[in-house]
Amino acid sequence: MSPAPADPLEYKPLDGGWGWMVVIGAHISIGFAYATPKVLSIFFNEIQQDLGSSFSEIALISSIMLAAMYAGGPVSSAMVNRFGSRPIVMLGGLLCGVSMITASFGTSIIYLYFCIGVIGGCGLSLNLNASLIIISKYFLKRRPLANGLAMAGSPVFLCVLAPFNQYLLVNFGWRGSLLILGGLMLHCCVAGALMRPVPLPCKPPSYALEKTVEEQPNSGNTKLKKRFVKNAKKFLDFSLFKDRGFVIYLIGSIMFIFGAYAPIVFLSAYAKSQGVEEYSAAYLLSIMGFVDMFVRPGTGLIANSKLVRPRIQYFFSFALVFNGTCHLLCPLIKSYAFLVVYAVFFGIGFGMVFALIFECLMDLMGSQRFPRAVGLVTIIECFPMLLGPPAAGLLVDVYHDYKYLFLMCGSVILTGGLFLFVMNIYNYHMLDKERQKQVRASEVEMKLTPQAGTGQTEPEAKERNVALRDPENTETTD
Amino acid sequence: MIPGKRRAAVMSFSAAIFGALLLQSVSSQNEPSITASEHTTLPVEGDMYMLQCNLTSYQNIHQESYWTKNGEEIPETRSPNRNTEYKLHKPRGDDAGVYMCVFTFDLSPSANATIEVKSAPEITGHKRSENRNEGQRALLYCKSVGYPHPAWTWRKFDNGIYREIDNSTGRFFVSSKDNYTELHIIDLDIGLDPGEYSCNATNMIGSREEKSVLRVRSHLAPLWPLLGVLAEIIILIVIIVVYEKRKKPEDLQDGESPVFYSSAVCDIYEEKLCSSSFEMDLLLCAVSLLLRNL
Repeated sequence: MSPAPADPLEYKPLDGGWGWMVVIGAHISIGFAYATPKVLSIFFNEIQQDLGSSFSEIALISSIMLAAMYAGGPVSSAMVNRFGSRPIVMLGGLLCGVSMITASFGTSIIYLYFCIGVIGGCGLSLNLNASLIIISKYFLKRRPLANGLAMAGSPVFLCVLAPFNQYLLVNFGWRGSLLILGGLMLHCCVAGALMRPVPLPCKPPSYALEKTVEEQPNSGNTKLKKRFVKNAKKFLDFSLFKDRGFVIYLIGSIMFIFGAYAPIVFLSAYAKSQGVEEYSAAYLLSIMGFVDMFVRPGTGLIANSKLVRPRIQYFFSFALVFNGTCHLLCPLIKSYAFLVVYAVFFGIGFGMVFALIFECLMDLMGSQRFPRAVGLVTIIECFPMLLGPPAAGLLVDVYHDYKYLFLMCGSVILTGGLFLFVMNIYNYHMLDKERQKQVRASEVEMKLTPQAGTGQTEPEAKERNVALRDPENTETTD
Repeated sequence: MIPGKRRAAVMSFSAAIFGALLLQSVSSQNEPSITASEHTTLPVEGDMYMLQCNLTSYQNIHQESYWTKNGEEIPETRSPNRNTEYKLHKPRGDDAGVYMCVFTFDLSPSANATIEVKSAPEITGHKRSENRNEGQRALLYCKSVGYPHPAWTWRKFDNGIYREIDNSTGRFFVSSKDNYTELHIIDLDIGLDPGEYSCNATNMIGSREEKSVLRVRSHLAPLWPLLGVLAEIIILIVIIVVYEKRKKPEDLQDGESPVFYSSAVCDIYEEKLCSSSFEMDLLLCAVSLLLRNL
């Protein structure tokens, strides 16, 4: 007798062994994904001189790349669901490498927009989502730690690539540097090779069952329309909005992303306006990145502990509140020493949030719904991410004072954190109620059909409950 | 003619001439004269140098006075005084130039006096290094401050000494103006052009020079690192895939994961799926089979 279709965990995730190699692969993949749009700005000056365009036209390259990376989320998730992580990460790495290599031959800014921005951004989006999804498949008990280690790739690659790009620029010019950078991005293919597919027992795919059922009553147009709707649902699953926890998480993370990037963009300008010299101001960002590198795995470790794991959403909201408070206190700082302290705390807050941001989504959605959820989340996060820094820049232009920027970002993030905290109290309360209802229901069922109780740990029980709440478990996963 | 009338005519004629002469001497007496400070050469002792102008004699009503430097009026120097001063605080190279105090009058043209503040040239801006690809054009520049404006020369460091630039190939262009000079090199040659260049500024007080380094990159330079990286990536992928293929049969024998069916069973289901012909899915099926075996 085949297992019940709603039973998701027929396998125990590895939680170790080859999983750590997968984490290394994800580390490389995520590192390139987040660091590349930022470090490309090192080349902008020379590209601007060579191609003769304005600074805002050049800066658009980074924005297009980031937008494509986030907007490609749903497509990437759908492809991973279909083909598995490994071919997608290899394809992503290939796209990125090809995009940089072809961009090095560019003669016009539009060509660069297309090569680096669109193609590169698509490659990075494939990398990012596939890496996150495979972590959710390989880990359960140690998942926060794995997430923290993988997300640490972003600051590590930023710290390594920034001076390296400068060295390449001096020695090879921007064209040669893009050529070599393209070659380096092919390391994402290596990362993909590490992502061995998780062997799953293949139940006769419910896909096939559904088809045989569908074949009989329908014909012609209605069949095509149903399949079209189903395919559209594969990309953007709006039924996720019915999930309370998902909506709460989404609102909180939108508020965070809106306020998160502007302080980074304007930190050195603010320091210079306070009278700090140029090199020391740039140094602040390196301090932040360096601290971030260690905070992410550390947060993963803390989030993995028995105390924090069951209430990880509270930890996430604490991280947001910490971040927001940090920004609100920044305008009070006048001296360089305190700016360094601010940079350290900013790094801590930023690292904490980013180590947890996808772990919390996995926690809420479970590994079955996570691919669809992450696709939806990334495409929605595209908007606050693109709107945040320009809105902050507008504040600076209007008031000629950086303190309003920090006040705005800090208050938005703080509000998001408090909102998450309060709503999660409500959410956990409702979840507990639902779990008690299910326990009572299964107790009744057990009384009718005596069966040995399954010994499950709490995360596994949670996965089961999360999946049971998801009626549309029709996809076969790899 | 009546003798009395002739005498009157002569009298009035001589009076007119005398009057004209008198007027001339009076007007020459009325031309304003200014006593001004001496011309000087920087650096000077002390923290401050004062430029002074005194309007000693004038006829018409004096309106106001102001200072100009190198032909442009210095702001906030207008005053109604006859004695006017301009302070130079800690005068340095960029304080050198031609200073002029100007006195304006209601009814006659303004009067001025010139004070020259000279100094040796100081080079304030130059490119320390310039990196370009071969065939491109390079631009080296030098900016200076000081007065009088220097004469610029560019030299290249060749075999131990600085020599004049050899322009037999016609690729070097120098354009100098006052306190700024540029050296353009077109169609860079990777063999001849790289090296150290120096711009020399010389005026009657002294001379200075600064060095710039020009590096020419070859087009093929990035190709070798790229090939190296590609080779490394291919080796890594081969190692990983080979390791996995060799480990797979051992995995199944160890019984590490007893719950799992072999992938062959899954393939059977996959084929059944493909055989139930759904038009659009057939292609997707084939592709997915291919990628699943990657």
